[in-house]
Amino acid sequence: MGNRSKRLLVIGLDCATPQFVFGPERFELPNLARLMSEGCWGPMQTCHPPITVPAWAVMMSSKDPGTLGVYGFRNRADYSYNGMTTANAAAIKEPRLWDILSQHGKKSVVLAVPQTYPVKPVNGWLVGGFLTPDTKTAYTYPKSLKTELEREVGEYIIDVKDFRTEDRHGLLKRIYALMENRFAQAEYLIRTRPWDFFMMVEMGVDRLHHAFWRFTDPSHPLFEPDNEFRAVIRDYYQAVDRRIGNLLQHVDEDTAILVVSDHGARAMHGGVCLNEWLMRQGYLVLQETLEGRKRIEDCSIDWSRTRAWGSGGYYGRIFFNVEGREPNGVVPAASYEAFRSKMIEEIEGMKGPDGSLLGNKVYRPQELYANVRGIAPDLFVYFGNLAWRSVGSVGFSDVFTFENDTGPDDADHDFHGIFILRDASARTGKVYPVVNILDIAPTLLDILGVPIPSDMQGRVLQ
Amino acid sequence: MARGTALRLRGEFREDTAKALAQRLIELGKGAEIFDDALVSRLGPAAGLACRLLVRNGVFVVIVSEHVEPDCECKCIALDPHDTPDFAAEKILDMLAHENLVSIESHDYSPDEEEEIRRRLADIGYIE
Repeated sequence: MGNRSKRLLVIGLDCATPQFVFGPERFELPNLARLMSEGCWGPMQTCHPPITVPAWAVMMSSKDPGTLGVYGFRNRADYSYNGMTTANAAAIKEPRLWDILSQHGKKSVVLAVPQTYPVKPVNGWLVGGFLTPDTKTAYTYPKSLKTELEREVGEYIIDVKDFRTEDRHGLLKRIYALMENRFAQAEYLIRTRPWDFFMMVEMGVDRLHHAFWRFTDPSHPLFEPDNEFRAVIRDYYQAVDRRIGNLLQHVDEDTAILVVSDHGARAMHGGVCLNEWLMRQGYLVLQETLEGRKRIEDCSIDWSRTRAWGSGGYYGRIFFNVEGREPNGVVPAASYEAFRSKMIEEIEGMKGPDGSLLGNKVYRPQELYANVRGIAPDLFVYFGNLAWRSVGSVGFSDVFTFENDTGPDDADHDFHGIFILRDASARTGKVYPVVNILDIAPTLLDILGVPIPSDMQGRVLQ
Repeated sequence: MARGTALRLRGEFREDTAKALAQRLIELGKGAEIFDDALVSRLGPAAGLACRLLVRNGVFVVIVSEHVEPDCECKCIALDPHDTPDFAAEKILDMLAHENLVSIESHDYSPDEEEEIRRRLADIGYIE
């Protein structure tokens, strides 16, 4: 695009959602509004699944989740029934932006970006993201940065503790503390390091949505008009906007600025008990009589009679028990595709509690990705197109539940995040109908004048 | 005994890089000595011989002084001025690992850490 910038600052706001930043009922956010008026912006179409892991890695590598071989936080390590591992930094084999910039002599600061723990060397400074298990670990690169940050800024708050609670006042304080800690680290590093690329990710927005959405959104089934938390999401966005304003005081006009999220949010109407449904359809058979609710991982499953099982979260994943693939597979490999098509049809035909179609979306990994590496689920399921979460536990009296057995949770994820870019290019003034997450990394490399690897799957935004 | 080697660093930040490299080598269980001007001056004409003896005894000798010619094979490394000293040290370690002179640890979760992360992700709602 020409008119390149000398430096690039990326402010990631996990789960920041377009309706509060761009929509007709947007909050008053003067710093973001200024960046929008001086740059370009639009909703950002994220990846499948629209989840923090893998979305930030997709954004920073311009590789889809299938190419990364990361389909969510927990992935099958093998075809056994319980071989699940967490997709941390070690799972990302493709170079991310800071890896590429390091090869070109650019110095990076990478602060709390998901999937950066265990830390790997970078030409610059890195603080591991929220998959850091503990502050006792070596969560920075170089190691000496940890001592310095703790001395200058205070203890690293990795994430919000005790998230599942009815004590909303206490939870709100902890979410604010997380955000203040992250921006304090950012302001310290932005002042003290000679960086070309600076990226931070603030996780508090995501935690806030999940904990407080029902108090803000009149479309949420549990919304009450005169509740004491009605303005907390607006107030939090405005507090984040002020902290962004403070951060921007440390950069000059030659610095390109991107404010971006990895996905958006929407009201969660309830949960679909995926494994309950599979049991009722005859696809999943337990060897035990249930007395109360239980995680599917803790159940004794009759694999000789089980054709599929699922896992829960903001989206559903279904795994087939395939002959010759799983240890006690029963779905003949020859009828795999027919079985998969039948299940898609059945899930898409699922009716909700009111008898109308739930609007489920079901995808085969092969239709979503350029490559399908590692072990993907056999199907991805978005219940009510993400209006309903997937509940993996069993022992419910119905397929539908309006309570979350792990504690309060008001929001599910949505496919559109936010994208606001201020740089010196001809993009200024543009309002994009949608920006693809795969286009972000090549656009950022172009801004810094660094060659774009030919295997990136996105293109430079025009 | 495992082999050592002599490395001569050249570039603006060679002293800082040498310190970072020696620190990392020690973390990896190796012996490391930095031959800077002060040490070379103290050793005098024996500095080159000292290099050889240390290398023979498995030590990694990192030379930043221009006033010594090691009495053994020495790899000369030109540092990229755009690299931080820590990152330059990691690049050298990668090279040493490629030559099987060091083995770089790959840290992953312990079983306890894996369970802690699983519990935390379930608490937040990402998984169950």
